[in-house]
Amino acid sequence: MTHEFSYHAPGSLDEALALLSEYGEKAAVLSGGTDLLVNIRAGLSRPEYVIDIKKIPELKALSYDPEDGLHIGACVTVNELLEYEPIAESFAVLYAAGAELATHQLRHRATPVGNIVTASPCGDMSSPLLCLEAEVVIVSQNSTRRVALREFITGVKTTVLAPTEIVKEIFVPPTYAGAQAGYQKLKRIKGHDLGVVAVALVKHNGSFRIGINSAAPTPLLLPDFAAGTPVEEVQKAAAKAISPIDDVRCTKEYRAFMVGVYIERLMKEVGA
Amino acid sequence: MLEQIPAAELRYVGKRTPRIDAKEKLTGQATYVSDMVLSGMLYARVKTSPHARARIVSINTEKARKLPGVRAVVIGEELDYRVGLYVVDKAILARNEVRHYGEAVAAVAADSIEIAQKAVDLIDVEYEVLKPVLHPLDALKDDAPLVHPNLGEYDYMEAAFTPKPGTNIANHTKLRKGDVEKAFEEAEWTIEREYTNPSVQHVPMETHVAIVKWGYDDEVTIWSSAQSPFTLRNLFCTAFRLPHRNVRVIVPHVGGGFGGKAGIGIEPLVAVLSKKAGGAPVKLTATREQEFSLLPCRSQLTYRIKTGVSKDGKILGQKMTMYWDSGAYADYAVNVTRASGYSAGGPYEIPNAQVDAYTIYTNKPFGTAYRGFGHVEFHWGLERHMDLIARAIGMDPLEFRKRNALREGSTSLTGEKIRANTGSILKCLEAAESAVGYGTLTEAEKARQEKTGMKIGKAVVGLHKAPAMPPFTATAVILRMNEDSTVTATLSLTDYGQGTYTSIAQMIAERLGFPIQKVKIAFESDTDHDPYDWQTVASKGLLLSGNAAILAAEDLLKNAYEIAAQALRCQVVDLDHDAEKIFIRHHPESSVTFRQLAIGYCYPNGNSIGGPLIGVGRYIAQGLTHLDKDTGQGLPALDWTYGAHGMIVEVDEHTGEYNVLKVASVFDVGKVINPDAVRGQAIGGMLQGLGTATCEGYIYDQEGHLLNPSFTDNKIPTAKDLPLEVESISVETPQIDGPYGARGVGEHSMIAVAAALGNALQNATGAQITHMPLRFEDVWRAIQRREPVDNWITKSPYGSCRSAPEVQRHQQQEC
Amino acid sequence: MKRVQFTINGDLYEREIHEHRTLLHVLREEIGLTGTKEGCGAGECGACTIIMNGVPINACLVLAVEADGTEIETVEGESKSGRLSPVQEAFDRHHAVQCGFCTPGMLMTIKDLLQRYPKPSREQIIEGIEGNFCRCTGYEQIIEAVLDATGQLEEKGEIKHA
Repeated sequence: MTHEFSYHAPGSLDEALALLSEYGEKAAVLSGGTDLLVNIRAGLSRPEYVIDIKKIPELKALSYDPEDGLHIGACVTVNELLEYEPIAESFAVLYAAGAELATHQLRHRATPVGNIVTASPCGDMSSPLLCLEAEVVIVSQNSTRRVALREFITGVKTTVLAPTEIVKEIFVPPTYAGAQAGYQKLKRIKGHDLGVVAVALVKHNGSFRIGINSAAPTPLLLPDFAAGTPVEEVQKAAAKAISPIDDVRCTKEYRAFMVGVYIERLMKEVGA
Repeated sequence: MLEQIPAAELRYVGKRTPRIDAKEKLTGQATYVSDMVLSGMLYARVKTSPHARARIVSINTEKARKLPGVRAVVIGEELDYRVGLYVVDKAILARNEVRHYGEAVAAVAADSIEIAQKAVDLIDVEYEVLKPVLHPLDALKDDAPLVHPNLGEYDYMEAAFTPKPGTNIANHTKLRKGDVEKAFEEAEWTIEREYTNPSVQHVPMETHVAIVKWGYDDEVTIWSSAQSPFTLRNLFCTAFRLPHRNVRVIVPHVGGGFGGKAGIGIEPLVAVLSKKAGGAPVKLTATREQEFSLLPCRSQLTYRIKTGVSKDGKILGQKMTMYWDSGAYADYAVNVTRASGYSAGGPYEIPNAQVDAYTIYTNKPFGTAYRGFGHVEFHWGLERHMDLIARAIGMDPLEFRKRNALREGSTSLTGEKIRANTGSILKCLEAAESAVGYGTLTEAEKARQEKTGMKIGKAVVGLHKAPAMPPFTATAVILRMNEDSTVTATLSLTDYGQGTYTSIAQMIAERLGFPIQKVKIAFESDTDHDPYDWQTVASKGLLLSGNAAILAAEDLLKNAYEIAAQALRCQVVDLDHDAEKIFIRHHPESSVTFRQLAIGYCYPNGNSIGGPLIGVGRYIAQGLTHLDKDTGQGLPALDWTYGAHGMIVEVDEHTGEYNVLKVASVFDVGKVINPDAVRGQAIGGMLQGLGTATCEGYIYDQEGHLLNPSFTDNKIPTAKDLPLEVESISVETPQIDGPYGARGVGEHSMIAVAAALGNALQNATGAQITHMPLRFEDVWRAIQRREPVDNWITKSPYGSCRSAPEVQRHQQQEC
Repeated sequence: MKRVQFTINGDLYEREIHEHRTLLHVLREEIGLTGTKEGCGAGECGACTIIMNGVPINACLVLAVEADGTEIETVEGESKSGRLSPVQEAFDRHHAVQCGFCTPGMLMTIKDLLQRYPKPSREQIIEGIEGNFCRCTGYEQIIEAVLDATGQLEEKGEIKHA
């Protein structure tokens, strides 16, 4: 980094929130750093204060209870999530998407919460979490609020998060635990790459739902489909919902086409 | 010339031998320039242009200069120097006008990297943005803006190049053989197509980095991650009008180059910072992003080929027009143009040929040498064209290649007679053919098709390349015997990963008859200590430096024998030696050890003779000529390495997704010196070629901004991108003047890989693609017969993807 | 500036460091362990892979202050005993090194891989080293070296002659 800042590693959430409330937009929250430090290096982010939240014990919490649901603390890494047995067992879509996120090294640092807070249209965790109706637990000095993920991300790299707030955790209700699911991602190489376009499918109780990344300013969740809905109908609904763009990674035409292809493949794979 | 040891008796040549540099690199102890810190060293950062073409109205450096810790700030206006390899067209920092996105406009040296960056951010540059010329074919138009209005005033190498003042043409290479128009008249078919490649980046893992200390009395020391210390010194001295004795270039380990570090790069800029900072050493490390646009890339190529073919499938004539996009500066691109021009027809006999190869200036990051030196690019077009011709005339593409392959008695484009010892393209094609089971599908492959629903396609392509180098290319090796009779070789051919030093150690051990453990090749190259070598480029190192090494070993032995003859009171002809001693052949007990001779032989009474044993080997390319500027005739080729790739792919016809199942790469290397090194070059180069075929390439917007200067959007192959199976096969037709019969193979593995992919995809699906890279989307579009996406240079009248099929036989026919 | 302390390859280091500097920068420029390389600075290439508290990470995307109190392993630790590790020896035998710039990071990635899979399959090796770019070798000889180091290579990659 050539950009200088001061570093704070509060040991409690209260302390962290106090710092954020003091520094506001001059501060940036550091967890895995796989976006923040890249952005600082590129000059896209120039915080004066970096608040490392990894020393806050409660943000490391990762728990699942069939009654209560899944809690993914802000500092749980993607690899910790993948290694947590209930994920492979009960949240197949998270497992599949997490395994596709970046490289093994990066997954030791990157966090699912960070992936959501970055709010990139191609964040691998976003459409799967949308399918699971995840909620984002946001805390500030004076309040705690829960925001549905679909309302949390408001645009390309924008969220409802205020500079004085921290996402404490992602909460996934137990509703879709054990659901069959799949995740397919278009990449430019077979190795690690951002999702040029990606589709998540979760099947549950006679219906299934589809989430889509990189095909609109925000990750999308389509309305539920009844089991047995013909592929063409699902593809048509998806085509209507997406608004892909042309960029260096792909044309909108091929993005739209591959969304349809992945829907068909996932419906076959998951048996929707 | 070179006394050869019979193959059966070889102890090191051709045998598996670990790399001499491996342990140092494996332990993390090998030193690269990026690892170096000198005392008092300053750190440099560069301010680069955000525009493709703009007039510099003003540069305000006041705030930067006032920042504590800043030791030097330089801008182009104060630097009256021009640098250039073949055409001296580049300022150290842009003056008056910036000519490409990412061009350096100012630079700072400071106590820390942080201060340097802060100072760079404080420099204000006011630009008047001008309309850039981006596509080479646009740049040829009469009303095109001139990238270099002063082209006529620049120095250039007149023996080889022809810049055209008042145009954007930096060079026009012409070749004329026979009567091509008459050949077209006699042809049964004429087939004309156009093929394009985007610019790509070398991506050495170590970015460009240099430390320069401009000492008292203009004594300059340069440590650089560079391939060619002597060429770097020569160009540096020319630019700064310094005597060569004043400048010392040191090259320690280099983290990859692939041609991108062949010439001169950031060194002059670092040098002026050091000079301005009062002689403190200054270090500049290019960021990965700067590697894409501050440093050069590989040129874009538009290649138009028109071929006349006889009824029985023989090529009668071929007209080849190349538009090389030089970018803003000529650098190596003019020589890429020349070298591609004289081998533009590939390893095939073309009795009547016309080549017009243009190097064209545009407002883009400039092109330089890159592994293959133009041959990767034009073989894409040529080897796609060979398949398209074969399809058009109803012949199997491999059969068409074999029928037209160069063979003993053929004449090359420049009039060179191909001899039996030149090598065998036919053997390469046949080996690739059998390695991939060309022409049929095995039962397993059929079953795989059934299972996956994907279609399998196969292809075999041929390739050739000779070193692109001046006819006077020379090198030398000095071999010194140490006190204990081990030997140390010094040379300034560099080993930046390709492994040549290990092969040279094997040859020296072989020729001396010493165990290889006694042979050291000094890794660091240093123009003050090592003998001259032109450049480490062109796949010529093994041949030229290998010969020089053998000569140095012979010279050392000769010198040792002379002293031994005196010591043993005999004639030199009666002597022989083993690893330890020189002895009289018929009285082996009468001997003197190398250890006794190493620094001079001392008689029992103290009288001494000889002195330190040194062997010198010099080698210069033999019998080459400049090419005639109007006809391209002459002898440019030290040696030709022929090769072929066989490829098997499977494609999803619905989506364009594909997997490369197998690549078999075959090269006629003359003689394998180090099997693992050959294999490493074959597979490593193949994957680099596959990278450019599948995913790499510069993407610009219409203003000439480079949109993907990082690994985020310029992917390179990972381990997952390796084909399921790779095979490396060597053909050995000894090169008469090659060391132990060897010839170079460093670049060849990358050539024609893309065409193999394009042809295999077409064989599987009918997808006709004439542009690179071949992303899934491109394959999908081609299968669907949709308009190709032209996002390398958008909306140019000559889109880089377009290629109208033009096939003529009595009536039009689609190919 | 912050005072930090960490253990590198078994040795304790204590340094006063700038808070914005990465662990990679501090390892290379302040501690002088230059075996670990920088290839991109953005977590894409893996040249700076080290092992921190038992897991492989990209040192370019970790602040040195974050490493306070951690146990770090770098390439320099691999031959500390004066002998190459079995993987290093296999790299040597198989020419799995060319320019050598990706090698230190590659070795640390493989060290972690072998802790997870003592006898990794070819697919596991490929998956494991996905995050480490090598521009020279084409990976094949690296894969073979890992197979060999774990006793799984039947025949050495001899070159074929046509």
